[in-house]
Amino acid sequence: MKIIELKNVNKVYNSTEVKVHAVNDVTLDFAEAEFAAIVGPSGSGKTTLLNMIGGLDMPTSGEIIIDGTNLSKLKSSQLIDFRLNNIGFVFQSYNLVPVLTAKENVEFIMTLQKWPEKEKDERTLELLKAVGLGDRINSRPTKLSGGQQQRVAVARALASRPKFVLADEPTANLDSKAATTLLEIMERLNHESKITFIFSTHDPRVVKMAHRVITLEDGKVVSDVKLE
Amino acid sequence: MNEEFKIAWRNLWRNRRRTMITAASIFFAVFFAVIMRSYQLGSYDHMINNLLESFTGYIQVQQVKYQDNPLIDNSFDYNDSIVAAISEIDRVVSVTPHLESFALASSGTQTKGAAIIAIDPEKEKNFSDPENKLVKYRITDEAISRLKDAGTIPDNVLEKVKKNPGRSYSSTARLELDLGLTDEENENFMPEILKCAEVSNGYLANDDQGILVSDRLASYLKVAIGDTVILMGQGYHGVSATGIFPVRGIIKMPSPEIDNKLILMTIPAAQKFFDAEGKITALVVNLTDKSNRTIKTAKTRINALLSDKDTVAKTWYELNPVLYQQIQGDSQSGQAMLGVLYFIIFFGIFGTVLMMVSERKREFGVLVAIGMQKKKLQRIVTIEMMWLGAIGLVCGLLASVPLILFFYYHPIVLKGDLGNMMAEWGWDAVMPTAWFGSYFYWQAVIVALMVLLATLYPIRKIGLLKEIEALKG
Repeated sequence: MKIIELKNVNKVYNSTEVKVHAVNDVTLDFAEAEFAAIVGPSGSGKTTLLNMIGGLDMPTSGEIIIDGTNLSKLKSSQLIDFRLNNIGFVFQSYNLVPVLTAKENVEFIMTLQKWPEKEKDERTLELLKAVGLGDRINSRPTKLSGGQQQRVAVARALASRPKFVLADEPTANLDSKAATTLLEIMERLNHESKITFIFSTHDPRVVKMAHRVITLEDGKVVSDVKLE
Repeated sequence: MNEEFKIAWRNLWRNRRRTMITAASIFFAVFFAVIMRSYQLGSYDHMINNLLESFTGYIQVQQVKYQDNPLIDNSFDYNDSIVAAISEIDRVVSVTPHLESFALASSGTQTKGAAIIAIDPEKEKNFSDPENKLVKYRITDEAISRLKDAGTIPDNVLEKVKKNPGRSYSSTARLELDLGLTDEENENFMPEILKCAEVSNGYLANDDQGILVSDRLASYLKVAIGDTVILMGQGYHGVSATGIFPVRGIIKMPSPEIDNKLILMTIPAAQKFFDAEGKITALVVNLTDKSNRTIKTAKTRINALLSDKDTVAKTWYELNPVLYQQIQGDSQSGQAMLGVLYFIIFFGIFGTVLMMVSERKREFGVLVAIGMQKKKLQRIVTIEMMWLGAIGLVCGLLASVPLILFFYYHPIVLKGDLGNMMAEWGWDAVMPTAWFGSYFYWQAVIVALMVLLATLYPIRKIGLLKEIEALKG
């Protein structure tokens, strides 16, 4: 079942001197429970494409439809609510709220969604245990390593029970061991909870674990390979 | 909402040093603003109490020409029924008749111009209360000798007493203030000092033909209780007024200017002296409430009661336009100073806000990206700034309370040139603070407005925030 559809999506940046075609006529779709990687050299349009799928940026032309909703038709505040309830984000530099503990960072999304306290607590603990941080729930981000922070970010991304998680170069700032641990956790969660994961990455370890690899060059999809 | 308060509070302490510096700047601004304003308003109150509550009153009924030409010819008939009617008006404390004029006072070879105020001795107790201003203690050479002879007063206390030679006091409070003794010294030695410095004095009976002379005038004329003073002046419609009056008592007026020239006598004695049978020059009205609104309302109601078209009610600021303008001008310059102070502090707060927005632009982007509505984020930032303002404000107000209380009950006594200058202006040279009033609470409003104004910047920035740009940092 398709949950994300991109139809002839273009993104053109108008600088003063030249037009930059960051994403060029991309048509793609993603199904439930996919574990997909978008790869390509720097400047190929991976992050731009991911940002548009996440509703953080709008295409110059074309349509992005998520679970039947055309993102271009949503107002700014509707788009924020849509992201809250449908999309999980994992950023390259973690981007946790520094004044909140690991538990509070994960709870935060559910607080925005107005979850009952008890359910919120249960889910937070369940997620932090799932990412191997059951013993660090009261630590603030500054007391956690990069790998641990990124695992909290994954737990936060999953907290709202999103339809899919977008991860922009999630292993870029991690050492080899932390990156492997993170990828294993994400693959397990994808397998167990059937949540779609889409990564942009340069990291061959991520590519190796992906079930589908989409390659971009100069904003165009040059290959889309499903692996078993 | 609790989550918002929690995040805002924690955000505040991300950069502890910066928060402390900003809160400290608000603290000092509030502290100094409150103290400055309290002193300013306290000195106005003190001035008004000195000059108005015991002399001019808040409203006076006068003959229409009297203010421009304050002669006894411009007097009017005293009427008991109008006094009773005015007394019935809401917030009127007292209605006191006065017959005021001037005369030369003479005793032996000494002669000086004196202001004569004729009063109703009983009614006057509700207004200027001259009985309470009768001199009770005087630091004379004899009093100091008696203290020495008693042998119970230590030298350091005696030295302090000697520093106030010839001074008269109508209350122990002012004597204590001038001597500057410690609480323990006051408790141990003040009874002996009072005993040695005590003087006997007398007040006027209702039909008394004697006079009360102000302390400095009595010193100049070299008269004491039981002596006589000759008064010479011009009576009603140009008749010659002369009389000889026994001194019943010596009064100490707080204003040195008034203390230099005041003689009080009863209205019947003055009417006889000035040949102004049944006449008075003013009905002095005192009110419970000093607000302009109360004064104006009372004035309107009094004017409506006056059937004699030659009489009119005037407010104290109409009667003392120079003093009123002085107070207004001084008050406005004080407010301008506070404005400058707050203006500087505002930029301190704004600097903090600018840094905060600059540092957290990326974080704002992340929060909106993961699903926080911009309005919620704006609320958190506003709460955070209000926390910051509240810390400085509450600490500033709390720190000012003990100082205001202390100086309200123990006003600073001004000495030296400043004290003399104030004395020349006719003001008692002390600086009390004002009791807590609207000026105190207004600081909270001003700080809240400053913080809200500074918060408009991040609110606008968040409103215009583009997630994708903010995420790039």
